[in-house]
Amino acid sequence: MLGRLQNRYDVVVVGGGPAGLAAAIGARDAGAGRCLVVDREPEAGGILLQCIHSGFGLHHFKEELTGPEYAQRFFEQALEHDIDVVPESYVSGIGIDSDGTRRVRVLNETRGLHTVDCRSVVLAMGCRERTRGAIRIPGTRPAGVLTAGLAQKFVNLMGYLPGRRVAILGSGDIGLIMARRLVLEGCEVVGVFELMPYSNGLTRNVVQCLDDFGIPLHLSTTVTAIEGRDRVSAIHVAPMGPDGRPDLQRQRRVECDTLLLSIGLIPENELSASLGIDLDLVTRGPRVSSTLETSLPGVFACGNVLHVHDLVDFVTGEALRAGRHAGEHAQGIRMARDNITLVAGDNVRYCVPHTLSTGREHTIFMRCKEPMKPCEIVVGDRMRKRLSFVVPAEMIMFTIKPDALEGYHEDTLRIDIRPLEGAGRRATDAAGQGGAA
Amino acid sequence: MSENAAFTCIGCPIGCPLQLTHEGREILEIEGHQCNRGAKYARQEFTDPRRGMSTTVRIEGARWARLPVKVTKPIPKNRVIEAARIIHGVVVQAPVKVGDVVLRNLLGEEGVDVIATRSM
Repeated sequence: MLGRLQNRYDVVVVGGGPAGLAAAIGARDAGAGRCLVVDREPEAGGILLQCIHSGFGLHHFKEELTGPEYAQRFFEQALEHDIDVVPESYVSGIGIDSDGTRRVRVLNETRGLHTVDCRSVVLAMGCRERTRGAIRIPGTRPAGVLTAGLAQKFVNLMGYLPGRRVAILGSGDIGLIMARRLVLEGCEVVGVFELMPYSNGLTRNVVQCLDDFGIPLHLSTTVTAIEGRDRVSAIHVAPMGPDGRPDLQRQRRVECDTLLLSIGLIPENELSASLGIDLDLVTRGPRVSSTLETSLPGVFACGNVLHVHDLVDFVTGEALRAGRHAGEHAQGIRMARDNITLVAGDNVRYCVPHTLSTGREHTIFMRCKEPMKPCEIVVGDRMRKRLSFVVPAEMIMFTIKPDALEGYHEDTLRIDIRPLEGAGRRATDAAGQGGAA
Repeated sequence: MSENAAFTCIGCPIGCPLQLTHEGREILEIEGHQCNRGAKYARQEFTDPRRGMSTTVRIEGARWARLPVKVTKPIPKNRVIEAARIIHGVVVQAPVKVGDVVLRNLLGEEGVDVIATRSM
């Protein structure tokens, strides 16, 4: 499929997943003229197309949708907003002219190298899965070791089963959802193994995907070796010892022909790095201002390329904002520069955006380091918010109202998550939100 | 003589541990829920546990080999795998529109259909 591709746009979006599509829609809504979405796959929609399970859209659409249904709504909106989408194309680089024009180099099999001029760029390349190499599992290198998301693509789009007797390392939502998916397809799932003492997925996914089908979840356990010549024949697993290493004395052998890895996601920032954009070492995404602008003026970022989200609804919200700011930038609208740098304090792994400015409302996304309940988010001396619980697997979202930062003259603002003693049982609203990403 | 049954609520990510006290089929008390969804879930789970389900069917003449589908209403939990077997027997021809019915009255349950979740 060849989409319309012109030479000049207001906004070019790199990546046509949920973030990219929403960013383009946001830009158009902000009054930007022509918008282009460049996607490397045969069709836009990103990873939603292979997430055939339900649980998306509870926040954004107030109803529960499957991934493809969620994507379909955005295709339709993109069409209504007269957005150009070019599939099977890569952005190989972005240059900046002296007059501020950005030249985006788009590579396509049919068209070759095509240069598109634009005023703003939105980075929405998403993330990729960590592989075996990232955690260096010892053993042979047979076929049958693959990431959970790749297995999902094989099963749900291409119609291949990755194996018959499957073990899963990592209890993130993708791993849990694939466990159920493979059982429905007739595979045997011998177990899900999780290094941490708690599941990294939502409780409802542990219940619906594992408990419902009698799949055992082994916490504080990891894979210590892979066995097999041409094909996986078994894995070795061991419980974690008190020193934080697997206790090899208690290692056991589990026969299987496939090992799925659900061990984390990494924002895909090769393009951002090549542009010299400042990256955050924790999120592995760009450092962004309160308008989601990167260190390169006129280049914005949103979705999983910025930081890994667990709900697509949050991606949509963030991307609509990034798109809106990119659209305004393309029309020459400039915001005052941010004057406050956010600092991740106690039990805060990261927060996005990285800077704020006084006088505006801000949406903050953050993750904790350790589970804690009940607790309180403490934003300097400016704001407190109680939460019934926090866990690393669930992103925390909250807003800072414009008046909260009134008269704030410091350069930095520290956010902590502190335990709260004697709190009541009722949940407050920032955490505890439904939907399985 | 009352007995107990334990469930974990799947209504939201909090995942409340629910305890249901019953005598035979009669529910006496539900505890552990922080909102009404929990009580409703425990009651449903005790009397008639049901689950939504999505899977894929074979599609011919399309970009991908599989078409994603879902059931329009929850089906009995203990028949989910049986339902998947039945659905996997379906083969459809492209083009298909989102919402098209690919199978009617699944498991003989009136009004439980299997529909496409995308156009292809």
